[in-house]
Amino acid sequence: MLNSLATRFLQHLTNQNNWSREHLLPFAGKVVQFEIAFIKTNLLILEDGSLSIAGETDAPEASIHLPPSLALRIIAGDESAKKQIKIDGDAHFAAELGKVLQHMRWDAEEDLSKVIGDIAANKSVAGSKKILAEAKKQSVNLAEMLAEFWQEEKPILAKKRHVAQFNTDVDTLKSDVARLEKRLGKLTKKHQESHVN
Amino acid sequence: MEQKTTHFGFKTVNETEKQQKVGEVFHSVALKYDVMNDVMSAGVHRVWKRFAVDTSGIKAGDKVLDIAGGSGDLSKLFSQKVGINGQVILTDINASMLAVGRDRMIDAGLSVPAAQCNAEQLPFADNSFDCVIVAFGLRNMTHKDIALKEMQRVLKVGGRLLVLEFSKVWQPLEKIYDAYSFKLLPFMGKLIAKDAQSYEYLAESIRMHPDQETLKKMMLDAGFGKADYYNLTAGMVALHKGYKL
Repeated sequence: MLNSLATRFLQHLTNQNNWSREHLLPFAGKVVQFEIAFIKTNLLILEDGSLSIAGETDAPEASIHLPPSLALRIIAGDESAKKQIKIDGDAHFAAELGKVLQHMRWDAEEDLSKVIGDIAANKSVAGSKKILAEAKKQSVNLAEMLAEFWQEEKPILAKKRHVAQFNTDVDTLKSDVARLEKRLGKLTKKHQESHVN
Repeated sequence: MEQKTTHFGFKTVNETEKQQKVGEVFHSVALKYDVMNDVMSAGVHRVWKRFAVDTSGIKAGDKVLDIAGGSGDLSKLFSQKVGINGQVILTDINASMLAVGRDRMIDAGLSVPAAQCNAEQLPFADNSFDCVIVAFGLRNMTHKDIALKEMQRVLKVGGRLLVLEFSKVWQPLEKIYDAYSFKLLPFMGKLIAKDAQSYEYLAESIRMHPDQETLKKMMLDAGFGKADYYNLTAGMVALHKGYKL
């Protein structure tokens, strides 16, 4: 039943975003796997350029790994997070699909208007958007506040500059050790030669 | 000469007899077929059929062949997808079932040609269709392997065969499903269609039908380049999809 519902929604989404078909058509028949935390979902590109859930035994041509932390950053609108998405397999296909999915929009207002009318649908969607925007703002504020607390008041998290300093110190130590090793080598060699003479 | 045998539900019958017996079953249930489908599946058969159409990848202008199309549910859905430039052909071996489907298409104002034919000898040229669908029909065919080869023959390269059929249910549900199939189903058949025997055959034929993996292999053996399946409602029904490459 879930497969049917998910495919119905994906088809509906493709119909609302008809432009996406021409981008996906070259990949018809290909399967991509989305791995978000422990959840894996396979999507299939159909012959009409729409999307559906893939079958039980279809092997994916590409995989997109999205850890939950990265998913949250993407939802919060962090553009740099998108560059950190890990892709395996047919990278061109995965990247193209990723791009299409990013730009697809669900026109909820249009769907709702068929049930409750245009004005009510417009007001409901505008209200929901406001609530979502506020919730997003509050969660970003909370995350920033916690990060500051764990860095300044009760240091659990390392600051970026401290990590950078630590990395520089480790590099310096590594080159010092290498130099010392060379000097010791030279001294040992000298010592052995004086013994032979 | 010894006659070849096949199964008709749990019984073993001569191959020539099976077609006639299946014909009798469907002549008997034709008029109550849709009501019974709704009662037996609590309407879920509509979700399965809609899913088959959604995953077909059919677009406007395509040609679709509906085999064992019976009352025409799928032909109706496909007609909406292919539009006026496409074509759907409704076929069934059983005249009574086909008459029900043909009348429904006319009543709905759809131009869907109806043809009575045997899926093991399809009267269509090679490479004619973008999609062939057989929903709850393969189970009743005497030579499934021959029928699958015929379906592959009439498909264009890149075309898809969709087989929607009862299959092997998820193991923990087997006992409940058996009780439903062998006790409740014939009872409902007697009550609504006044025909318990036909619904006994339905339950038995489901058990004799190949499971998901076997049918997938049969499709590959019939010449499909790629085959896959979806389990629907815990495997009670499976949708197999084969590609002619």
